Amino acid sequence: MIADVKNLTFSYGEILALDNVEMELHKGAVGLLGPNGAGKSTLIRILLGFLTPDHGTGHVLGYDIQNQQQLIRKYVGYMPEDDCFIPGMDGVTFTSFLGELSGMPKQEAMKRAHEVLFYVGLEESRYRNVETYSSGMKQRLKLAQAIVHDPQLIFLDEPTSGLDPSGRKEILDLILDISSKRNINVLISSHILPDIESSCSHVMILSEGKMAAQGSLSELKQIDYSLYEIRTYGDDKEFLNKLKKMGCKIDLAEDKVIKVFLPPEKNHLEIFKLAQEEKVQIRHFVKSQTSLDDLFARVVGEE
Amino acid sequence: MTIKQKGYTHWDGELKTTQYPWTPITKKGIKLAFKKKFFKFTFFLTLIPAIVFLVGIYISERLEDFAFLTQDVDAVSFLKISPKYFNSYFTNDFLLFMIVVILVFCGAGLISDDLRYNSLQLYFSRPIRKKDYFLGKASVIAFFLFILTLVPGVIFLLMKILFSGSMTFIWDYPWLIASVFGYSVFITVFFAFYTLFISSVNKNRRYVSVLIFGVYVFSDILYGILHGIFNSDYFSLISIKANLQQVGAAFFGQNYPHQVSWMLSFLILVLICVVAGYVLNKKVRGVEVAK
Repeated sequence: MIADVKNLTFSYGEILALDNVEMELHKGAVGLLGPNGAGKSTLIRILLGFLTPDHGTGHVLGYDIQNQQQLIRKYVGYMPEDDCFIPGMDGVTFTSFLGELSGMPKQEAMKRAHEVLFYVGLEESRYRNVETYSSGMKQRLKLAQAIVHDPQLIFLDEPTSGLDPSGRKEILDLILDISSKRNINVLISSHILPDIESSCSHVMILSEGKMAAQGSLSELKQIDYSLYEIRTYGDDKEFLNKLKKMGCKIDLAEDKVIKVFLPPEKNHLEIFKLAQEEKVQIRHFVKSQTSLDDLFARVVGEE
Repeated sequence: MTIKQKGYTHWDGELKTTQYPWTPITKKGIKLAFKKKFFKFTFFLTLIPAIVFLVGIYISERLEDFAFLTQDVDAVSFLKISPKYFNSYFTNDFLLFMIVVILVFCGAGLISDDLRYNSLQLYFSRPIRKKDYFLGKASVIAFFLFILTLVPGVIFLLMKILFSGSMTFIWDYPWLIASVFGYSVFITVFFAFYTLFISSVNKNRRYVSVLIFGVYVFSDILYGILHGIFNSDYFSLISIKANLQQVGAAFFGQNYPHQVSWMLSFLILVLICVVAGYVLNKKVRGVEVAK
């Protein structure tokens, strides 16, 4: 296990950002999902030691998050969500400077800075002042500074935000290369579900400061609820209400498709029975595979 | 095969834990200061008092070669090398003014740029503590200020010994070495706190530059006005320059330029440092938290 936290609670004044969060971070690429304000960035900042939790304990790479932040930061790379750079420096100076701050010898840091800038595709722009970089280049630069010291674990906070589709794909490819072939563990915080689905094997879903679900993506998609996609004819308002009362979760999809997440103890025939009672025709009924979007909607409760 | 084709490669070195993890911050800060327009020229101007005082030491030992100067009473008085001579260098208006100009160049952006471009989280995601960050930034200021204070002070002492060919001057004023060190460190620490404090209050470097310069100059102008109206030396306590000169006189055992206890001036400067330290500690953190 790469990191774990137990009963982690943190609040910004009266606003509870994290509420008794329990988490186990497995090797490989792990996605940290959640809507805006769910507490993803707060969790990463606590793991890095930027914030001290109100309660709870945790370890990253075996180091205590409250007493050994220095050691954690030595072996962890961090790509922040916001635009951030040090003005007045070119790309290679910036990257090597941050490598030096991590404890790399000056010459090594400079050599390595060239390597990682080549790797992230900034070879042509490495001598340009960082203030002149475009948004996509800044994202790449942030990734370069996060990997310059060859960390064992990288925290990527919204790594694809502000990127066009091709830039997004390139960054995701890099992340996939780092995590799958190079034995570096990655925690990707994002609310863009396809990004997580394409690059992570495990996910954790935070909702309103609570850990709503965590585990391997394939297992999470399959467990518990069965997903049925239905189309109805007639006034289905009461029908849907009764489905909810029955314990189903409802997600209204495009093209008038209703996604019904049926609890394991219920049988799909009960949907038909209820439709009959409410005089609603079911004109389309398909058992569907759950996607990460479905999982997210089910767990977070976006209906 | 290009690096990109090879994919990610591991670094086979070992990350070091040093006692001074702040040194890269200092080195980078110094380099960035020298990159600024007109900085080198301004810095050279700042060295003019040191050059003039050094020449003064040489002339004082060769008065027979500069006989025309001995006719001028003021010049003879100035060329008498004593602690007063050192006090004159360390507390002269031009030097203090130029120090503030240098601070505008090298210190204004030290923290304000980091706040503006969100780079604090980059620093603190490394094995850097808050004190390392402050030390790194303060050392940039210390580097330039020591060149203007401690280095000339030590050179003056050495040159006096060298030109006179005897240690008499040192035996006469053995405490002067401590005074030079003490006042250089004091003025450097004060200006480091002063600059970093102002640099942390705003994200705009230009605004910070105006503040660094403005607070220093305005405090002195205000003193001048109030002193003119009420004719009380106690108003010197509101002037940064006057307080520094007062403390300087105490360090070098000279008559105080203002009829106020030097301890009061000292306490006011220390108080500014304490407030600055408190604000800095609150303002600088790895993540902006609105509690």
